[in-house]
Amino acid sequence: MPKPDFGFAFAPNRALDLSAPLLPEVQVVLETEPSIRACMACGQCAAVCTAGAFTPLAFYRLVLQLRGGDVAAVGERARHCMLCGKCQMTCPRGVNIRNAVLLMAALAPPKP
Amino acid sequence: MEKSAWFVWPFMLGFMFALVVLLLRYLWWLRSLWRRPSSRLLSRMFSKHSLLAVREIFSEGLLHLRIYKRNRRLGFMHMSLALGWFMMIVGGKFETWFHSGQFLHGTWYAVFFRYFEPQTAGGWAGTFWLHYMDLGLLLVLTGLALAIMKRIRKRILGIHSSTRHTLVNRVALTFLWMIFPLRLVAEALTFGQHGGGGFLTGSLGRCCFSSGMLAGLELPLWWAYSLSLGAFFVVLPFSRYLHIPTEMALIFLRHWGLRAAEDLQPEKALQAFEIHACSACGLCLDVCPAIKDHPFQSAYFLRALRSGKGWESLASTCLSCGACEEACPINLGLEKLRTAARGKIHEKHHAVYSYLPTVAPVETSRVDVLLFTGCMGRLKPATTKALKDLFEEAGLTWVHLDEQESICCGRPLSLAGRAGEASALREHNRNLIQGQQARMLVTTCPICLKQFRDDYGLELPVYHHSEMLWYCLRAGRLKREKGTACFSYHDPCELGRKSACYQAPRELLQSCGTLLPLEREQADALCCGNSLGALSLSLSERQALTSRTLKVLEVSGAQSIVTSCPLCQHNLARQSRLPVRDLAEVLAVTGLPEQHGQRTAALAAVQEL
Ligand code: SF4
Ligand code: SF4
Ligand code: SF4
Ligand code: SF4
Repeated sequence: MPKPDFGFAFAPNRALDLSAPLLPEVQVVLETEPSIRACMACGQCAAVCTAGAFTPLAFYRLVLQLRGGDVAAVGERARHCMLCGKCQMTCPRGVNIRNAVLLMAALAPPKP
Repeated sequence: MEKSAWFVWPFMLGFMFALVVLLLRYLWWLRSLWRRPSSRLLSRMFSKHSLLAVREIFSEGLLHLRIYKRNRRLGFMHMSLALGWFMMIVGGKFETWFHSGQFLHGTWYAVFFRYFEPQTAGGWAGTFWLHYMDLGLLLVLTGLALAIMKRIRKRILGIHSSTRHTLVNRVALTFLWMIFPLRLVAEALTFGQHGGGGFLTGSLGRCCFSSGMLAGLELPLWWAYSLSLGAFFVVLPFSRYLHIPTEMALIFLRHWGLRAAEDLQPEKALQAFEIHACSACGLCLDVCPAIKDHPFQSAYFLRALRSGKGWESLASTCLSCGACEEACPINLGLEKLRTAARGKIHEKHHAVYSYLPTVAPVETSRVDVLLFTGCMGRLKPATTKALKDLFEEAGLTWVHLDEQESICCGRPLSLAGRAGEASALREHNRNLIQGQQARMLVTTCPICLKQFRDDYGLELPVYHHSEMLWYCLRAGRLKREKGTACFSYHDPCELGRKSACYQAPRELLQSCGTLLPLEREQADALCCGNSLGALSLSLSERQALTSRTLKVLEVSGAQSIVTSCPLCQHNLARQSRLPVRDLAEVLAVTGLPEQHGQRTAALAAVQEL
């Protein structure tokens, strides 16, 4: 079957297959904080992020990575959040970002 | 003693059982203290602190003065139940002592005294105790009548919500309610048959129970009294009535310097006593901004902690607005308990802030103010700008500490129960402050204010910008003329209840306009819905809370809503039909000369029409 041509291309590692089954630990996070599913990757949370001024933390990317199953990377990055809540105050979709980050940070292996 | 005394056994067995279970539970809770006795505790035990504890037990455990101050009828109900019962316990001792000349007797003797000795001996003292005991009983029965009324129609007692009880608590309640009417009838019958009795029991006996046909009922009634007492004591250690002895123990332990742990240990040390000292009085219900939507109020949260089930969701939805802690008559450390619970839920969460740049020590000349705007500063540049204009106007020099690289103060992490993880943030901010020479630190965010005051241990005083501006106004450094503007002011939880700052913002607004009275303000103010305490409250649930708060704020005549917290301001503005501004913005605008000019021009234009 020929590849469909959408008129644009993207790197395969950035593609997200939404039909692929989720990892169990990802499922737990999504079930504990269902509002994560409402994220539309608008990027507002990253624009106002306090930690993001110092380090490449962008919550919406964590959501994408989480869906993609890159659990360890999500956990590592989520640990940089300060829980200040600015993102949540500006999120147009009402994602409970602080709770999501708390759950995501727990995905990384324990602190040495 | 000629009569049969078998009926005292249900009471005695229940009483002993309660004592043993209580003792075992308390010893278990205090296990860490036996292993490591604290010298501070021992030295305080034999000092004035114990006397202070006794005084508090008297004023709170018996008279319930704090409840009385909040709600007189409810306070009277609690007082009459507790004080009446206490009067009867003390009176029972004296009564038997005067009657028999002996001080020590079996516990049952005082409890069922009138069954054994219906005739009063001991002269005037005996008569005094007889009437005194009746007074105690009357007091308890009054309290009981009020309690029953409270179950049927809460409004009569001035409350809207009362605690919904679990089965074991309802069973305990039933036994408790049976005890005193049964005692009244049993005593009245005995006096009716044998003569004697005080103003209540004696008269009731003479008028209703003197017929010889009723003689056969005497013993069964005393049996029933004993059974209900015994049954109540059996359920006491497993019901909310455990609060009666536990509250007293808690007051002593607190006065002896014991503090609640930071992490959740519901069966250990002071935390265990706090959790079990809650009487489910329900004062935390009506004050909760979410009482209409969620059952996470402290009475339910503590109950969930006691049973070990379901506390997680209750802890992470509560807003930590502090209203229940303010209302709780036994001053339970409710916020601390909630953050401990949140910390337990997220114990696997860890934070890493090694990416933060190191702060080089600064050597600057002395300024008046160090300004800290925190993470919200960048979201609310208008507030910062207004405040700087006001500094300028007041002739103050300042350094804006976090103008370039602002980070969080650490309190949001603390509210999520991860206070330990915030140490790197606090260290970073401390370094920013170190080396600066200033008279004070001023923050525009009440959350930062609380965190700096409580956990930073700074040498210089920390003020919220409203406090500092009020100081400038009083000192004549800022001058305002009373304009025509009408404000309603929203008290942020963190500034009001948590930092007890109510007056400064009000005085400032009064100086330049009219401040409207609200239905709920100051310590009773509602949370804006954007509290950092709640972790898993959904947006729609938050929005419902916000609308309710706005309903209070949008009083007729109000032209704008003023607050002094960036989070409240942001959140209220999202749903309000009136403009919502920070105090600093309001004050800066009213001071601007061009604004005065505009107003004069507008007035002139109106007059011309
Ligand atoms: S602001 Fe909200 S919706 Fe937008 S990307 Fe962030 S989490 Fe998703
Ligand atoms: S809570 Fe975390 S992710 Fe959100 S703005 Fe603050 S630092 Fe960024
Ligand atoms: S937490 Fe305090 S106010 Fe609430 S029911 Fe218990 S004792 Fe009463
Ligand atoms: S802290 Fe506020 S929101 Fe939470 S239970 Fe108490 S009154 Fe309700």
